[in-house]
Amino acid sequence: MSKAIFEAFDGYQGIVDEIDFSRKHGVDYTVYRDSVDQQINLLHPSRISLRVSDIIVESPSTKTLRFVSQDGYLPPFLAGQYIAFFLEVGGVRTRRPYSLSSPPNQTGYYDITVRRVERGRVSNYLLDEARRGDILEGSGPSGHFYFNPVFHDRTQVCLAGGSGITPFMSMIREAVECGLDRTFYLFYGNKTLDEAIFHDELGRLSGRFQNIIYVPVIENPPGGYAGATGLITGDLIMKTIGDVADKTFYLCGPQGMYDFCVPELQRMGVPLRKIRREIYGPPAHIWEDPAWPREIKAEDHFRVRVAGGKPIDARAGEPLLTALENAGLRVPSLCRSGECSMCRIKILSGKVFQPAGVPVRKSDRQFGYVHACVSFPIEDLEILT
Amino acid sequence: MEAYDAVVIGAGNGGLTAAAGLAQKGLKVLLLERHNIPGGCATSFCRGRFEFEVALHQLSGMGTTERPGPLRMLLASLGVLEDLTFVEMKDLFSVSMTDGFRLTLRADKDQVISELEQRFPHEKAAIHQFFDLVYAYANNMLAAFFFKDPAPSREKYPVLYSHAFKPASEVLDEIFTDPLLKGLLSVYWGYLGLPPNRLSFAYLAMLLFVYIEFKPFHIKGGSQALSNAILNRFLSNGGTARFNGGAKRIIVENGAVQGVVTDDGDRIQTEHVVSNASQITTYAQLMDRENIPDQVFTEMGGRSLSPSAFTLFVGFDCEPGELGITGSTNFLIDSFEFDDRIFSRMRSVDITDETMVLSCYDVADPDFSPAGACQANIVTLKYGEPWMRIPPARYHSVKFQCAESMLRRVEAIFPGVRTHIEELEAATPLTHMRYLGHPEGAIYGFEQYTKDSMFFQPGRYAPIEGLYFASGWIGDCGFQPTLNAGMSAAKSILKKLDAA
Ligand SMILES: Cc1cc2nc3c(=O)[nH]c(=O)nc-3n(C[C@H](O)[C@H](O)[C@H](O)COP(=O)(O)OP(=O)(O)OC[C@H]3O[C@@H](n4cnc5c(N)ncnc54)[C@H](O)[C@@H]3O)c2cc1C
Ligand SMILES: Cc1cc2nc3c(=O)[nH]c(=O)nc-3n(C[C@H](O)[C@H](O)[C@H](O)COP(=O)(O)OP(=O)(O)OC[C@H]3O[C@@H](n4cnc5c(N)ncnc54)[C@H](O)[C@@H]3O)c2cc1C
Ligand code: FES
Repeated sequence: MSKAIFEAFDGYQGIVDEIDFSRKHGVDYTVYRDSVDQQINLLHPSRISLRVSDIIVESPSTKTLRFVSQDGYLPPFLAGQYIAFFLEVGGVRTRRPYSLSSPPNQTGYYDITVRRVERGRVSNYLLDEARRGDILEGSGPSGHFYFNPVFHDRTQVCLAGGSGITPFMSMIREAVECGLDRTFYLFYGNKTLDEAIFHDELGRLSGRFQNIIYVPVIENPPGGYAGATGLITGDLIMKTIGDVADKTFYLCGPQGMYDFCVPELQRMGVPLRKIRREIYGPPAHIWEDPAWPREIKAEDHFRVRVAGGKPIDARAGEPLLTALENAGLRVPSLCRSGECSMCRIKILSGKVFQPAGVPVRKSDRQFGYVHACVSFPIEDLEILT
Repeated sequence: MEAYDAVVIGAGNGGLTAAAGLAQKGLKVLLLERHNIPGGCATSFCRGRFEFEVALHQLSGMGTTERPGPLRMLLASLGVLEDLTFVEMKDLFSVSMTDGFRLTLRADKDQVISELEQRFPHEKAAIHQFFDLVYAYANNMLAAFFFKDPAPSREKYPVLYSHAFKPASEVLDEIFTDPLLKGLLSVYWGYLGLPPNRLSFAYLAMLLFVYIEFKPFHIKGGSQALSNAILNRFLSNGGTARFNGGAKRIIVENGAVQGVVTDDGDRIQTEHVVSNASQITTYAQLMDRENIPDQVFTEMGGRSLSPSAFTLFVGFDCEPGELGITGSTNFLIDSFEFDDRIFSRMRSVDITDETMVLSCYDVADPDFSPAGACQANIVTLKYGEPWMRIPPARYHSVKFQCAESMLRRVEAIFPGVRTHIEELEAATPLTHMRYLGHPEGAIYGFEQYTKDSMFFQPGRYAPIEGLYFASGWIGDCGFQPTLNAGMSAAKSILKKLDAA
């Protein structure tokens, strides 16, 4: 074979020498092996094994489960983040996200605080079946509901509802224990006083620390209750915080709370960019959504075929993800609220209902992808997982 | 056991076009991707009401419908053009310096030259000389290699012979005296990862030529739209794609590929594997050492890992104009020093005065972000290694500190951006490592020294029968080269099967 033409280019010999030199003093790439995975697992393990080390009763309907790591290592997290548990309950493999309620400076354990949801599959399991010593599999910490020092204000106005207190508990504990230069106004709404989780601890903290202002708001207060009652209104917030300047607003609670509180905040003059909302699962009564097709009932059933396989049964009022899991299919999920796109599937034929505002990528919409955790079947479907 | 004609590992650009190219010709192909979405770098993610573009700043090689470039032709051959809308960027780039210097170059040769002549009248002749040289080099290169001249010679292609292996800064120093002008004409080094004193003139010349002649483009829906469109074509041609599970092992017997084991433990029978994962991962993690000739590690050992990047994704609650952003592609620069200081800056974690590029897609495509909002992707190159030494517990705070420093740099040029931030996310070298699976989060594969160019490296071939590579690790990086690399790998397999 004749000489390759580049061998005649000016400077060729110099390059050849350089190659020889670099190989002689080269890098030994054989040792790399799975070093990338190992490095990433320190921050974002796809799976961690957790052992229940303690169970603390917080209220009649709520317990805190304390977990230690099986292998001794817990990845760091930001106060406000959640982990998802991978469980098998009643023969069904499923996952559920729970915000960490312990502060990130507590590196020895993770706490989650679970409130009972009536007929709920996982909450009842965790509250009634989980025992000290049990081993549960979980995801690494995830989620975007945390204080971002680059553009959030150091004064945080937090609106919590029910079990939505958990991310704020982590933030407040961290602020107090680490002496952070941040101020918290916490408005915490509950139906009854005894449902208010961490009520005593929050009362104590706000008594001791000037930068923690705790305002419980009780919808049905006991007779003679002196605190704030009803819902968390704009008037109550304004009266407490004075003005909205230099404050970032955080909401975590059920959809109903967002529907009520976000317009209240806007009326107060809070720009949308200052309002951070935690995800909180799929809408509980999707059929009440104004855009829901009238002719479909929550109890209507549809057939879903996965990649040409045998059809499974799905209820209109229930997320497609749940139907797939009930049928024994493995669909990964994390947030179960439409945000993380882990449960992304492709609809080949048929229609699903998706509530407005689900963050599905534009081109995913173009090519028929949906997030199964917030998609509700309204026709027979054919899908690709 | 499941059997396929070919298994493609990784659904980045190279993996996608390889898979689509093979399925199009009727092969039974399995595509394995560790993540839940195709694209690798060519992807997007959502925060609040924003969908952030991850990697694509300027797509090269598209050309117009009337004068199609190589990439447009490639995408047409895959049948994905009709699913995509491309947005032409009228500007090559804008440069903003902290001292107040501003310059915008249109993506047109004559306009670039006349704008530079106006700004640098003392370098008028040199400017002409430089662009003549760039064009002569590119035309020599294309005639000799792209159109495969059977009898090339120094007489026919003098500039190719004299300049192919010259460092960019040497050429610039020969032609110009004004350091500012030299800096402006080499800002694209950031797209290649090596500062001008280490980069070859060949790379710089080709990049300038390609962007000027075929224009920079963006894609409606971002690079994710491209990835989704190619995957869609692959699926409709009968391809099988599995996400959330990659390849764990490539099975080799007697020097030939026999199959692949997936992360789920499934054993797949195949005689052809295209790896879109790095060569390091492919050889050192996915294969048994005894199946790999020593030569592989010797050759690879002479190459070094390219930088990774620190990227800020910012969603603003206003239009770009309100922030003072008028160009799509903005290089933010503090100073033009061509020495190894640039290099050592890239090796440190903190951000001070490094060059960065800020892309605001909404300038060329007002639909990119929601109405009344816009986004910026700001990136600077950083080696991954120092990031790997940060204790995990400190990771988040270091990340926030760097984001803060970067934002200050942006504020120095576009004051007032901070008051409009609605969403902000940062990606570090470790983020790139996580989402690409590449050692040290390298985004441009191995470094692109002249010694690492296609002339001297094995490219897509492996000394193992049935194994091919398609990625930025085999030579040139960027969208156009990696999309092309996948097609080439597919063609190699088709040719081999045809011959059998
Ligand atoms: C990011 C994130 C963090 C979370 N953190 C916590 C936490 O710290 N503590 C905690 O207790 N829960 C938390 N949750 C909710 C938790 O993930 C489960 O949804 C909840 O425990 C119910 O699960 P389940 O299996 O018992 O009910 P399922 O069997 O899933 O649901 C049963 C029925 O109850 C409805 N439902 C589901 N969740 C609720 C709810 N919260 N309130 C009222 N109705 C509901 C469902 O729509 C369904 O109709 C969090 C959710 C998200 C998305
Ligand atoms: C911040 C940034 C900016 C950029 N800007 C530009 C630009 O403006 N213009 C331009 O042209 N180029 C740009 N690039 C470069 C361009 O994006 C890349 O060169 C190109 O996308 C790389 O494609 P690839 O084929 O090498 O695959 P990659 O994108 O590197 O993807 C590799 C894929 O393989 C998968 N994988 C790895 N290991 C396994 C395994 N064991 N099993 C299964 N899957 C596996 C990974 O998950 C990943 O999806 C930019 C890149 C970055 C990061
Ligand atoms: S699980 Fe996160 S989007 Fe469905």
